[in-house]
Amino acid sequence: MSAGDPMHLSEAELRAMSADLDAMHHDLTLPALKSSLAEWTEEIQAGDTRRRGSFARRRFLTVTGGAAGAALLAACSSSSSTTAAVATSAGATASGAAMNGGEGQQLAGDLRVVALAASLENSGIATYAAGIKAATAGQLGTVPPAVVTFAQTAMSQHQDHQKAWNAVLIAAGKQPVTTVDPVVQPTINTAFAKVTNVTGLAKLALLVENTAGETYQNGLSVIKSTAGIKTAASIQPVEFQHAAILNFLLGNYPVPAAFTGVSSARRVSDYQV
Amino acid sequence: MEFDETALGGLIGESQDTHADALRAAREPLRDMVDLGQQARAGGGLDPEENRAFARENSRRLAATARRAGGLLAGAGIIAAVAEFIGRPAFAASGTDVQVLQTASSIEVLAVSTYKTALGLPYIGGSAANPVIKAFATTTLKQHFEHLAAFQAATTALGGAKQGKPDPAFVPVVDNAVAAITRAPAANGPLLVVALALELENIAAETYVNNMSLLSDANAKKLTASIMGVEAQHVAILYAVQALLKAGDAADITLPPPAAKLPAAAGSVGFPNAFYPTSKAAPATQGATS
Repeated sequence: MSAGDPMHLSEAELRAMSADLDAMHHDLTLPALKSSLAEWTEEIQAGDTRRRGSFARRRFLTVTGGAAGAALLAACSSSSSTTAAVATSAGATASGAAMNGGEGQQLAGDLRVVALAASLENSGIATYAAGIKAATAGQLGTVPPAVVTFAQTAMSQHQDHQKAWNAVLIAAGKQPVTTVDPVVQPTINTAFAKVTNVTGLAKLALLVENTAGETYQNGLSVIKSTAGIKTAASIQPVEFQHAAILNFLLGNYPVPAAFTGVSSARRVSDYQV
Repeated sequence: MEFDETALGGLIGESQDTHADALRAAREPLRDMVDLGQQARAGGGLDPEENRAFARENSRRLAATARRAGGLLAGAGIIAAVAEFIGRPAFAASGTDVQVLQTASSIEVLAVSTYKTALGLPYIGGSAANPVIKAFATTTLKQHFEHLAAFQAATTALGGAKQGKPDPAFVPVVDNAVAAITRAPAANGPLLVVALALELENIAAETYVNNMSLLSDANAKKLTASIMGVEAQHVAILYAVQALLKAGDAADITLPPPAAKLPAAAGSVGFPNAFYPTSKAAPATQGATS
């Protein structure tokens, strides 16, 4: 940028700026994430190997290795179309339909944290999907285009997060978690039933984002795997960025505290899977 | 929508209530660290070989960072500064967590200094400045000061020396940027200030994200985790402000902004990454004391 050049941006230029930032994300961020997830997968597979012995190891690598690779690939690519089914299912859940994907697996340790994270991401996806559906149906009044873009992009990023967590579960030979968070979701559903406009939806989204950010922050003290810590650490700030923009749109001071807390975090101990 | 400065003051007051809750999240690990630091020192101190290995590893990372550096870091002087720094690894005497925390302090020192400088500019801190930008710069300065105090307290709790100097590798970059800002016409100044602030905030956020997998002390991790999201929030707001300034819509930088008037793309410009990157992270020992 030259100090002497005044700059003005059109909508098209602003879109281009967003595209540049998105390209940067794919050039720099995703390879790093792939590396972390691959590292975690190896750790999980190594741990699994120690438990099962060499015969089981060969079977594990044959059966789950391909699935893990495919999931990792999906997790690290654009989410625009591949997660439509998840978003649709999660959206249905937000309005009352039941889901049970990934429950009852008796997970422990890091994998339990991973499952909690995936379920929380499903609740985030469900909230935005239901909000977009309501807006499209004209139930929220006039919705500014910038708010639509916010909701679509935030939902897409939650889909990326969900896929990343589920890739880890698949790598461990577990089922992906496609169900919403059982503790938070009733609160979301109750609140969503009262949403009549964009402001109400933004307040609900703020609750979801802060809960997610604080849950990851708390999870960073629980996760043992270094690669798992890298993954959670790369997601926590993004959830808090969503919260900052929502606060800004709501007219709240956007960075309300010098330190983020964990008082709203979902505890791993009360996640029953 | 008209801006109401009194209302903004109230909002900042409310945010400070939230802050009081969050502060507990920072204070608890700090208190525990004091106890652990005393135990570590009583137990014979830190492993010198481990610390030297950590320093060597981070020297390699430093060189890689210099090669990859983008944005303002690509400016004149940074490569030379980094190369010079690689030549004098001055950190092997401290524990690895201490070095990481000292580097974090050195970044906060730089952020505090930069926001102080910015608030001295009439179009950022003057009476005619955009009140939202002025309030943001003022509050962000205070938040960085609190981060600095927290990182310094954590460093001393683990038995290290408090780092009060700026990260040496970034000083020439900031100096050059500040010189350019000073020379620029007032109409262009805000964009240049925002660009510099963005660079520093991203360095801070990415460094802390990266540090999460390097720190071994549980309380140092908790403290860092409670700060990195805040730096990322600064980044999000600065991206949004930058977009509005570039669009020539400085008048729309209000709280709340006139959402109906904003272009669609403005809704996502604040959070370009689904996963926070670490490519601009400062090497963990870069700001360690000698």
